[in-house]
Amino acid sequence: MKEFEKLKREYQETPIPPELNDRVQAGIRQGKRRRGVRLLRRTAGAAAACLVMTVCVLNLSAPVAAAAADLPVLGGLFQVLTVREYDTTQDGIQYDVSAPGIAADSDLAQQVNQEIQERVDALTARAQQDWEDYKEAFFATGGTQEQWGERQMDVIVDYEIKSQTDTTLSFTVDFGEGWVSASLERYCYNLDLAEGRDITLQDVLGENWVERCNTAVQDYISHSTGEDGSTYFFPQESGGFTTVDEDTAFYLRSDGVPVLVFPEYSIAAGAAGIVEIPVEEA
Amino acid sequence: MTKKHEALLTGYFGAEQESFYRLAYSYLKNREEALDAVQTAVCRAWERQDHLREPEAVRSWFYRILINVCTDLLRQRKRVTYVPLEDLDTGGYEDPPPADESLAARVDALPMEISTVIRLRFYEELSLKEISAVTGAPLSTVKTRLYTGLKKLRVSLEGVYDT
Repeated sequence: MKEFEKLKREYQETPIPPELNDRVQAGIRQGKRRRGVRLLRRTAGAAAACLVMTVCVLNLSAPVAAAAADLPVLGGLFQVLTVREYDTTQDGIQYDVSAPGIAADSDLAQQVNQEIQERVDALTARAQQDWEDYKEAFFATGGTQEQWGERQMDVIVDYEIKSQTDTTLSFTVDFGEGWVSASLERYCYNLDLAEGRDITLQDVLGENWVERCNTAVQDYISHSTGEDGSTYFFPQESGGFTTVDEDTAFYLRSDGVPVLVFPEYSIAAGAAGIVEIPVEEA
Repeated sequence: MTKKHEALLTGYFGAEQESFYRLAYSYLKNREEALDAVQTAVCRAWERQDHLREPEAVRSWFYRILINVCTDLLRQRKRVTYVPLEDLDTGGYEDPPPADESLAARVDALPMEISTVIRLRFYEELSLKEISAVTGAPLSTVKTRLYTGLKKLRVSLEGVYDT
């Protein structure tokens, strides 16, 4: 008994690092973000389910279709629909997939649909491979079925329509994989379906678009730097932000303002997640 | 519904974080990894708070997440060798105890399932019922593991079966 008391005393005396509370708070912030994605996905899923129902009705009934054409939401050149949706668990992987598709008589729309479908397939294949590898390593190093227990991987695909007019459409699609670590990729689509082409930052911001974007990003970074100089953003000399270019992702907010989207770890620490920076009127 | 556990978790994490670190450290024996484990477990718990059905069971629910994170990290290091329960040499009186090792080192040398029970029972003073909830093993298995572990450690204790 004495030995155990000594053992317990030693255990209680484990020195506690001063940054423990910061790390706990960082865990909470991280959890909030990831939870946000889940909840958003659920809400979008419910809304999308309604849309799918509506489309079935439209196909079935000519009078209903005629009536719906007067509705602004379903008017215009196109509709965005959830083409693939499933919320299911299979072999320990939970799929929460709601992938969008554009219903429009347009080559551009078909091209975008195909690209999204390929990305969903690629993500699913990669997730299954990662999961198999992890499982194999787990049991190879002596894990038991009981310990494996409730382990689960999440595969998340979700989309959000950012803005739309009669002829243009801006939306984002999130692809996420979560298990030991989590990663989230966001793809942006800005389409002009009347002209059948992508909308560029230059279309929205004019000739000096690079300069305007860079100023917005630099302002954003300096505003997010604390008084003690602490910031999530990497310094320019060690992989931080330098300039935007044709490949910089963005979407159009409903007020028409373009919002730049930087992937996780691209210009800031992973704790900052995906960074979104609006380019407002100067 | 979505926010129902946020206050509970914030309070619990704030009050008990030192216990989380001590437990993680007892598995990982490494300051940075133990901090990583606590952060990851907190993140995961927050994200999956809807799975917490009974608020009064928050400790066993969270410890389960934390211990899973720790054992995953240990597996990634591949320093852990698993010994199936039936292969365990529970020892006889004729075997000399490993005199050169401290009790703490002998606890660490135990198979993971067994050291987990010992840690939770004696370090964190969980009841056997709670340990059963944390590990997902039936109460009878937890008792067997505790008994095996103590035999292995050559330590006898009174009151270990108090639940």
